[in-house]
Amino acid sequence: MSLMNIELILLTVLPVLIAVFMCFSTNFNRHSRNFIAVMGVGIELALVISLFVLNFEAVKNSNFFLQYTLGYTDTPFVINLAMDNLSLFFSLIVTSAIFLIVIFSTQYITAKENIYFALFFLVLASIQGSILTADLFTLYLFIEAITIFTTPLISFEKTEETTRAAMQYLFYGITGGVFFFISMILIYFNLGTLKMAAVAESFALISTPMQLTIIIFFLLALIIKLGIFPIHFWLPRAHSACPAPISALLSGVLLKVYLYIFMRLFWTMIAFDFLVELHLSDFVLNLALVSSLIGHVFALQADDLKKMLAYSSIGHIGMILAVLLLNTEAAFYGGLLHITAHLMMKSGLFLSSGYLLQTTLSHNINDLRGIGHTNRLVFAAFIIICLGTIGMPPLIGFVSKWYVLLAFLKARHFFGAFVVAAGSIIALIYYLRYISHAYETVKEDGKSIKEELLSLKGFFSSTNKMKSVIYIFTILIVIFGLGFKILEMPINTAIFELLNPEKYIELVLGG
Amino acid sequence: MLTNLIFIILFMLGFYALIMKTNLIKNVIGLNLMEAAIFFWVISFSDIGGEVSIHKFGETMGKFNDPVPQALTLTGIVIGASTAALLLTLIIELNKFSGTIDRDQIEELND
Repeated sequence: MSLMNIELILLTVLPVLIAVFMCFSTNFNRHSRNFIAVMGVGIELALVISLFVLNFEAVKNSNFFLQYTLGYTDTPFVINLAMDNLSLFFSLIVTSAIFLIVIFSTQYITAKENIYFALFFLVLASIQGSILTADLFTLYLFIEAITIFTTPLISFEKTEETTRAAMQYLFYGITGGVFFFISMILIYFNLGTLKMAAVAESFALISTPMQLTIIIFFLLALIIKLGIFPIHFWLPRAHSACPAPISALLSGVLLKVYLYIFMRLFWTMIAFDFLVELHLSDFVLNLALVSSLIGHVFALQADDLKKMLAYSSIGHIGMILAVLLLNTEAAFYGGLLHITAHLMMKSGLFLSSGYLLQTTLSHNINDLRGIGHTNRLVFAAFIIICLGTIGMPPLIGFVSKWYVLLAFLKARHFFGAFVVAAGSIIALIYYLRYISHAYETVKEDGKSIKEELLSLKGFFSSTNKMKSVIYIFTILIVIFGLGFKILEMPINTAIFELLNPEKYIELVLGG
Repeated sequence: MLTNLIFIILFMLGFYALIMKTNLIKNVIGLNLMEAAIFFWVISFSDIGGEVSIHKFGETMGKFNDPVPQALTLTGIVIGASTAALLLTLIIELNKFSGTIDRDQIEELND
């Protein structure tokens, strides 16, 4: 067992250690606590990047695989962490986004930081765990842990609205968890194992009605967690009530983690052919497309900036899920590219909405009048990210939406192509509504653009970390939009895993 | 057969309390009832009338109950208890703000 295998367990254990430390850091001063938080997540990011760089050749040839087993390998369930190209790709993008979000929250959160960071690092540990785990029971534990640890974060600012949102979130999250538990236990009674790879090998032996029950309960659990149409109304509330960095975490990062779990379950563990055979893939595809349209339409009537962003998230997640369910190589490319793009754009938008809140009373559209004059550069960044989400050419949102559209057209699925195009047009309307409100009144006593540019001198010198993080997200969106070919190699290797699950199964069972 | 019947009745009772009742505490009870129904079913299904499954050195074991479902259930109970505690805490907080624990009344107050 080499050092790299032990890095896997370190990825989940390190955030837990930092979380425990943060719990007891009440006597620390603000500066040192923030330093430890940033260092902790920085080490986490360095570990993931080192895994990528040190195994660059293996990743490039799509035969990268690491695993770490705790306990005896012949028991029906062991704690087994495994990392292939798909998990490496998700771990990489998720950890980078969380790194920036932590830097933002060191300045944004001003009260009860020790509890905030403790919960935040526990969520990070559960996210890493659910990405790396190779057996069903550990996955269930980590999903439940994510739900339980994010709930106090949603009601972090104790008001009636946040408490209500957190309660609703927890009710739906736990109901989803119960459905997941039913599926898991049915699999255990039928096959006597909970290792995903072993389940994948013998899933065909289960009788068809039982297969249908298992798949339906898994789908129900994930539809609840992803906020797809019939059960979507908890999402805008929960994602808009919490502090801005947590909104970015929930909407930008966590939804992608659930999409990853969806891929793991329905491409690696249960072969996708079963979904097609039972006529479920078409149904879920259309449901996701309807959900996408409904999300965009509801965003039109939202008078709260964060609610609007949350509804737009429903629209994008529905679109990504639909394109993944087409099950072609082009569809995976578009879907994974849009997952990366949406991760950057939605995190950037929520973080800038948090920055704008400092100069306004609330996120209501009427309170946002004239905000473009008082925060010139931040609002300019906000507009650039908005244009990316709509799909304007030089930005990453355009590239990813283009490939999604292309995948729908190649599969001759015209309803999907219509939803992608219509979603973009509706998005243009609702973003313009906010932007025009922001520039409505005459200029007040804001800084001139020259003063703003001069304040950029201390870009990294902690004068304003929040601004810097928003600018970094904006720059990333422009850079990746121009040079999206950088992402081609990791995405193509991740697609290889989705198309050839046999490799993962063989390696997990062999080790 | 009887266990299946009890499972279905308990589960549906819990589901009914979760969906139809407007009292939030009754909703929590419903959720817990659903979980309890599943745990009950898992335990009774895995009971094949064997011995307690503790390994004894030097003795060949006869028929024994599978310990894995019991372990899963134990973990499930822990998760259920913690979520119930968290939910009840949030309901107490909500009661401080709005003075009621009725789901519909809270919605009406805010809209």
